[in-house]
Amino acid sequence: MKYLNTILTVPTIDPDDARRRRLLNILLLGTLLAALIGLASIVINSIINLNLSQSDTQVLLVGITVFTLGIFGIYQVNRRLSGRWAALLFLLLLTVIFIFTDSPEELVRGRSLFLFTIPIAIASLILAPLASFLFAAISSAIIAWLAISIGLSVNVFVIIGFFILALVSWLSARSLEAALKELRAINTDLDRVVAERTQALAESLDRERIEAGRNRAILNSIADGVIVFDRNWNATLANPAVRSMLDIPIELIIDKNFTELIEHPKLAHKSRGLLYAMMEHDTQPVGFRVEWEGKTISVSAAQVYSRSENIGTVTVFRDFTREAEVERLKSTFVAIVSHELRTPLNAILGYAEMFKESVYGPMNEKQVNMAERIMKNTQRLLGLINDLLDQAQMEAGKLTIQMAPVKPADLLESLHGVMDKTASDKGLRLTSEIDDHLPEAFNGDAARLQQILVNLVNNAVKFTDQGSVHVKLFYPSQYKWGIEVTDTGHGIPESELSYIFDTFRQVEGTATRVHGGFGLGLSIVKQLVSLMSGEIKVQSKLDEGTAFIITLPLVSAEAT
Amino acid sequence: MNELALIIEDDEDLASIFAEALRGIGYEVELVADGRVAQERLKNGVPPFLILLDMHLPHVSGGDLLTNIIKKDERLSNTMVIITTADARMGDTYGEMVDFVMIKPISFVQLRDLTARLKPKE
Repeated sequence: MKYLNTILTVPTIDPDDARRRRLLNILLLGTLLAALIGLASIVINSIINLNLSQSDTQVLLVGITVFTLGIFGIYQVNRRLSGRWAALLFLLLLTVIFIFTDSPEELVRGRSLFLFTIPIAIASLILAPLASFLFAAISSAIIAWLAISIGLSVNVFVIIGFFILALVSWLSARSLEAALKELRAINTDLDRVVAERTQALAESLDRERIEAGRNRAILNSIADGVIVFDRNWNATLANPAVRSMLDIPIELIIDKNFTELIEHPKLAHKSRGLLYAMMEHDTQPVGFRVEWEGKTISVSAAQVYSRSENIGTVTVFRDFTREAEVERLKSTFVAIVSHELRTPLNAILGYAEMFKESVYGPMNEKQVNMAERIMKNTQRLLGLINDLLDQAQMEAGKLTIQMAPVKPADLLESLHGVMDKTASDKGLRLTSEIDDHLPEAFNGDAARLQQILVNLVNNAVKFTDQGSVHVKLFYPSQYKWGIEVTDTGHGIPESELSYIFDTFRQVEGTATRVHGGFGLGLSIVKQLVSLMSGEIKVQSKLDEGTAFIITLPLVSAEAT
Repeated sequence: MNELALIIEDDEDLASIFAEALRGIGYEVELVADGRVAQERLKNGVPPFLILLDMHLPHVSGGDLLTNIIKKDERLSNTMVIITTADARMGDTYGEMVDFVMIKPISFVQLRDLTARLKPKE
């Protein structure tokens, strides 16, 4: 079949030419076969000696041999020289042979007339669409010549028939060629589109490869360890940093489930629960610190989404050992400072009080005054240390709220105990009231509530030159209670209102020097209020005064 | 005979201030600066009327003295105990076991006034 295909196909660039020449070859092969069959039948005929004469047989043999040679010649022309010439020769050969296939009478108006339609029909296919008309003309001329030569009239209908056939052939060959052309154009277009798409695909693959290479370089060079898990928490990727941080072979990470890492003996038992909890978290990025063979490692995890479907998790490991050590030192330092600074300050305070109280004999007014100043400054220093320690504890997340039954009346009583003198020393009145409906006791951290009250009142006194400071414990709704501290002081400019709760901040640079302090008081108050799940608001008018309003959840004392 | 107050405090200055406050209102004062010494003193000596107990002490902590000695010894069942500590959490832990908790800094006047009230009326 392949061999046949090789014989039939003529290598040429023009697809129409190739098609025609291939078709011609098929026709040549077909006619050759027909000739061979004819030859065989003659041979058989002569053997069984039917009605053919010796001379007829010879003529037929010569004719078929010439025909066969002619076909070979045409095949060579078709293959090597020109398809058009070969087609023309073939058609002419066919036409000439047809003349000799029957008697002139039969050819002109009898059984063999149809033979002439064959070259007319195939001329349009193998030579050119218009060639049908040429062969219609040739055939008409032959028919006319044969008719005249045997004394018959020319059959005009046959000639018209030839031309109608030529017209039909021409039209169908033309539309066939047009359709093929169109098809080829579509093919070319398709080829172009395919080429373009292939190119685009190759480019995007290239880009992807570059991107992947870049990501890999980033992963390989960063100090943080990264493990990427699929949605079932099987590790698909781990960078070198995580291997060296955890100090285990990469085979123990890659393709393994996260639980195997969690159960690794190097991970402290107490850290396992945290990581299991991390696996169950599914929306928010979360972070934990775990102990891994003497190291403190912070682990954070973020889900990866593709079209809003969770496709896995990226976990980042950071060696936090140094930071954890610093934090531990800081908290030890805070504890030491807390004890070691307060003890000598307590001694200074005590001795100064002893002076003031004239324990070792009477003091004059100036000496008493001096003792009072020592006390006041020591107390200030103690207050500052307490603020710093509270701030440090809150930053370390170590300050906790201890809930126990609290009586609001007690809160105000001890507030007056601490602040009355401070206020009256400045010529201010410190007044207070409790909402009648507020329960007599509820749950709260008395020490921290006291701290809030003292801080706010102390602040109010600090920034008020005349008038009063009023404290109100109110009861806005069944599940809430509140503290309101109002003063008749300087007020806070509106531009500063949003900063007053910031750490280490006081209104206006100069105020810091006038009033002293770290500017930690309000920041601590705000943080304490948030720890108690409450809210703090401030309202202020310049030269009229300021009000701090705190609302806290009311937890009844019986509830716990 | 004046009431005996035992001050268990390792800081010399604070001990002397506390002592002065108590003496001033008529207590007889005995000072101990070490946990272990205090332990022996409580076991063997005269039961005091009042104990001022610091929580951070060398060798034996104030907490241990409180739970293992003071609260267990029958002879000390009538003794009043005041904790003096800089750590407010100590107050939360041991507050229920004692009569008063004073958080350092402790004022001379405050201590004097409180202990004066505790003294039985003559």
